[in-house]
Amino acid sequence: MRRNVALFRNFFKRELSTRYLGSATGLAWALLHPLVLLAVYYFVFTQIFHAAGFRGSNFLTFVAVALWPWLAAQEGLQRAATVLSGYSGLIRKVAFPHEIVVYASVAATLALQFAGYLAVLLALALFGEPLHFEGLLLAVPLWIVMAIAVTGVALALAALQVFVRDVEHVLMPVLMIVMYLTPILYPRTLVPETVRPWIAANPFAWLVDRLREALLDGRLTPTWNDAAAAVTAVLLLLAGRWLFRRLSPHFEDFI
Amino acid sequence: MNSGPIAEHSLDHEPLLKLEGVGKDYAKLESRGGRLRLVCSLLRGRGAAHVFRALDGVGLELRRGESLGVIGENGAGKSTLLKIVAGVIRPTRGTLHVRGRVGALLELGSGFHPEYSGLANIELASALFGLTADELAARREEIIAFADIGEHIHEPIKHYSSGMVVRLGFAVATALTPDILITDEVLAVGDESFQKKCIAWIERYLAQGGTLLLCSHSMYHIQKLTRHAIWLREGRLERQGPSAEVAQAYITFNEEKSARGKQPMSLEQAAAAHFYAIQSFELTPGKALPHGADLKLAGEAYSPDGRAPVIMIGVGRVDGTAVYAVATDMDGVLPYRVSENRFAFELTLPRVALLPGKYLLRAHALDPEGVRLFDTVERPLQVTGETRELGFVRLEHRWEMHTSRIRAEMPVE
Repeated sequence: MRRNVALFRNFFKRELSTRYLGSATGLAWALLHPLVLLAVYYFVFTQIFHAAGFRGSNFLTFVAVALWPWLAAQEGLQRAATVLSGYSGLIRKVAFPHEIVVYASVAATLALQFAGYLAVLLALALFGEPLHFEGLLLAVPLWIVMAIAVTGVALALAALQVFVRDVEHVLMPVLMIVMYLTPILYPRTLVPETVRPWIAANPFAWLVDRLREALLDGRLTPTWNDAAAAVTAVLLLLAGRWLFRRLSPHFEDFI
Repeated sequence: MNSGPIAEHSLDHEPLLKLEGVGKDYAKLESRGGRLRLVCSLLRGRGAAHVFRALDGVGLELRRGESLGVIGENGAGKSTLLKIVAGVIRPTRGTLHVRGRVGALLELGSGFHPEYSGLANIELASALFGLTADELAARREEIIAFADIGEHIHEPIKHYSSGMVVRLGFAVATALTPDILITDEVLAVGDESFQKKCIAWIERYLAQGGTLLLCSHSMYHIQKLTRHAIWLREGRLERQGPSAEVAQAYITFNEEKSARGKQPMSLEQAAAAHFYAIQSFELTPGKALPHGADLKLAGEAYSPDGRAPVIMIGVGRVDGTAVYAVATDMDGVLPYRVSENRFAFELTLPRVALLPGKYLLRAHALDPEGVRLFDTVERPLQVTGETRELGFVRLEHRWEMHTSRIRAEMPVE
């Protein structure tokens, strides 16, 4: 166990430094990317489409609260899907629990994006946006639930990628589609009645709504849905880990 | 697994490493769809449909302080075996018991991350081995000193030469003082001085009770560093025993393989063509001869014109390399006549100095002038015994022991 913690720390540090600090602008870009995206969305949706109905809040704030967790999840999954190949030398020659690599990769991505999230919330507040910072009391557990779910899916993707190289190529468009089907850039109220139940079935829609309720409205009361989501996340983690552990003994031959 | 060092004195009679009926299958894939099907069957807890048996039915034991060599051709399953012992892969069949910490140096750049610097890789290797930060700090300097690659230690491994990678790998593997050290062909890389350093280190490690599993194509290293050896052939144990014996058997096998196809001239052909021919050739005591025993060779030769042929006796390695040969005319003797066209010969080699191994003894029939060779008959000879000497023949030798000088340098009690 002590060894696994030391390994996690080593991989985590390495994931942060080789990915973001390795290139001169790496870290800046990791934090800037969502900002640029946010600016583009702002321009397209408010200046071109003249979209409205953001529950009375500024479009920027409305989207920012939901965009960062989504990008964190998306990047976490994408990076994790290919992370094992970077450790092929180790996997082929040293005995260690391979899942630590995935844990470290997801943790590094989410930690960095969470830091960016806090920075953006702080910036928005400084510009006078009415944010409820006590909402973080709920937002942090929500991020943790998301992290658990993302880890579960990431484990499955990483393991499958070793055998079926198509995973990373399929993942990109799928994530794009899911993003537009999640009420990140628009409020759920704008969705036509007939489609709404389908949107509601998307667990990320629940996360986005809860984050907005907490940070924009200051409503913190936990619901049964929250408990269900937490249980779902844990089940996803267990399922992903089961799949990973089934396949990991055979990585050495295929990676 | 592999948690913590174990008590030195207790349970020492139990093997550190025990394999029973260990086998490993690798999946064989034909198409892209095969990969998907493979994932499905793996998830259902079944093995792959088409497999390649890399290893099968291997059993061995290794106790503290023992050293075991692993030899065999490429693809014989040596690396698979070492990976199983190191815990990198799980055997498909059989059981594996490992007590103590295993330090493995599998192939070049074992377990290094190419993007990391040498220092970062030292850190990573220590974490993989389960060292705490304190333990690492205590050993870092030692590792850097042993690797001796200067300022390169701060550069990413991918910029290293293969020799430098091996230096660092060996330095790390050894500084972690494993209970069992596994090395795979690492001594083949690196310059001579570093090789010597490694061999010196391994010898010291063994002398201090370390346990070694060494895989090498160098029979010299196998015989020098290990007491026992196993020979893997097509995934199975071909032979095991004292390393000199196994190495000899392996060398002989390879020599026979490369010598195969060379057919001696047949006796019938020679006789029919009115050639001088060897008609019989027998060895006493037989095909097997204890090292240092007397060997008698006797036979009969055929002469088409009734003149005594020159008989030459040769001793060679199985691959044809000559060790020694002598002919009747060189020593000024003649084979004695048995009948009109038949001549007999008898040669005794007292206290045969051949080292244990397989040899070929040849009797050649030459014309009476000793110019033209007409016939050759071969007999295999197995010299048995045990020795750690290298080569074909034991040469008479004597060590000069300058005892007086040593005594002079020793402190007087």
